Amino acid sequence: MFQSFRLSMAWLHTWFGLTLGFVLMVVFFFGALSVFDREIDRWAVPQSRFEPQPIPSFDKILRPVFEQMQPTQEAIAEMAPRVNGPMPETYPVIERMGAYTTHRDPVLNLFIGFDVPNAKDPEEAIWAYRTIDPRNGASLPDDRLKIGSEFFYPLHYSLNLHWRDIGTWIVGSAALVMLAALVSGVVMHRKIFREFFTFRPGKTSQRSVLDLHNLTGVVALPFHFFFALTGLVIFAGIYFPVGHTQLDPLHEMSERLEAAETGLPHDRAGVAAPLASVDAMVADAQRRWHEKGMAGEVGFLTLQHVGDANGYVSVYRAGTDRIALTGEGIHYKAATGELLREDPAPGFVDNLNEFLTGLHLQHFRHWLLRWLYVLGGLTGCVCIATGFIFFVEKRKRQHAKQGIQGARLVDALAVTTVTGMVLAALGMLIANKLLPDSLPAGWPPRGDLEQYAFWGSWLLAFIHALARSGPVAAGRLSPAWAEQCRAIAVLAPLAVLLNWIITGDHLLRTLSALYWPVAGLDLCLLASAGVALLAAAKLKRRALAAPAIDTAKREAAHA
Amino acid sequence: MRITGHHPLWRIAAAVLGGYAFTWGFIALGMAGAFALGMSFHDAEHLTAIIGFLIYLVLFLWAFAARSLARVWAVTAGGALVMAGAASLIQHQLT
Repeated sequence: MFQSFRLSMAWLHTWFGLTLGFVLMVVFFFGALSVFDREIDRWAVPQSRFEPQPIPSFDKILRPVFEQMQPTQEAIAEMAPRVNGPMPETYPVIERMGAYTTHRDPVLNLFIGFDVPNAKDPEEAIWAYRTIDPRNGASLPDDRLKIGSEFFYPLHYSLNLHWRDIGTWIVGSAALVMLAALVSGVVMHRKIFREFFTFRPGKTSQRSVLDLHNLTGVVALPFHFFFALTGLVIFAGIYFPVGHTQLDPLHEMSERLEAAETGLPHDRAGVAAPLASVDAMVADAQRRWHEKGMAGEVGFLTLQHVGDANGYVSVYRAGTDRIALTGEGIHYKAATGELLREDPAPGFVDNLNEFLTGLHLQHFRHWLLRWLYVLGGLTGCVCIATGFIFFVEKRKRQHAKQGIQGARLVDALAVTTVTGMVLAALGMLIANKLLPDSLPAGWPPRGDLEQYAFWGSWLLAFIHALARSGPVAAGRLSPAWAEQCRAIAVLAPLAVLLNWIITGDHLLRTLSALYWPVAGLDLCLLASAGVALLAAAKLKRRALAAPAIDTAKREAAHA
Repeated sequence: MRITGHHPLWRIAAAVLGGYAFTWGFIALGMAGAFALGMSFHDAEHLTAIIGFLIYLVLFLWAFAARSLARVWAVTAGGALVMAGAASLIQHQLT
């Protein structure tokens, strides 16, 4: 099909990069935002604007909350197709429950899984979630969407399309294509070293766009490659569910062997048993970590087979001082508090896997590295966006002559995924502040309305980009770029202003209190507005200059 | 457009589906084999996944670069069948 290796790689790079590049833009942009997902949560949920807290007393604070938790009507309806017969009336048996926090969380996430005896998959439980203020156990209103960690972050890896994990599969294909685009991109350009230092902003827009595409691709190549690969590894269980399909019997066998070896029961005994003091177990775990010279905050606490004689409590350390995730688990018998097991030091594969996934998920405390991740993610966005623009610049005059709409459509989609995506995020933040504290009866939950604002703003940006794309079909620049930049320049400061009016936390107050989660997002919003204004001004100059060049060329050609 | 044997769609199918099948076979055989040799199930799962995605990438690129598309299909589909079959045999022996 292709005459040479390089041509085959160029074809692959162009067409796969174009089709999955739109997905990659979303993944890179919201991945960059997810680095500060907890901070965006603070901005969105003013009730949670206080300092991060350690996991509180289980016996005094958490246990009463867990005892009230029940699956929601939505969760019951969602699981109904996966049971034989109707859903149970009550959920008396708790299979697993726990709490999870990081060094950036003021509020605490609790989860609980109830046994569903007639589930088609006997291992499947029905889950309930709650967010509490760990200082007093008070629950946050459950219609508060944590925009950072519950919307932007899952958007990064699943596009928030959860039906049969379809979004995660699309993102996975995009990640594989990202890897292929990086390799094929290197093959296409033999002068890879020179690309490092080449940026000619004064040249034609097609040439300088390509320079920028190569520069951002090459400079951040290890970053892009590493994140695409580790992203795939994190979800390997979804992409290649070998252990739950073909090798399920082997998996089951290994789990039973492991349960026998670790002494942590795989199943319930069927004999009721009380729960000893979990606080005493946590204190014992912290003493054991301290003896090993490790920071002793608890990151993850779980209870398995709750209320059963086989029940056990696992205490994991928060991984703030290392790359791998939570770890050094210590397990206790729930009924007596007797030590069952201390996890052994991880082996080579565990170390490798935790290093790779931990470096992607970054639960560690390192603010400079966090910012470098944001920078890397945005560099990826520049790389992909300039790829789109190069595609359009290279073809739009040709397409204009032939009357093809291809460049026009790609340009409109590029506007939608570059500036339109920023507008969608801004629309959501603004809705978050404009919606009243308690909604009238009969309205959808607050968080749902915020999500509608996101998708609605994005749809509007797409319609606008398409409606204004006419000039591209004539070989000129679409005015949608500059117009959407101006919209960003208006909406971003509006979000900052609304945050001030509604919550009273203006920049002077948050900056003088050094409350970075809110001050940081406000400053970033203002900076985006500044960049958008600069871009709009530059685009205006270019749009004014472009027809003149075209006419000059045409005149020269006629002469 | 007529879809002949030379249409890019066949290349894309070989890259995506053939590459996936081969990688599945590799992961299955790697997991069963490493487990049989004494590695823990989840260690084997993680290790083969990390290597598996790199193999998928190489096959994906090769499907476009290779002169003979038939060879790509033979290697990916054939390799997938042989390795997945071997994995099931090992599992049968162990359980």
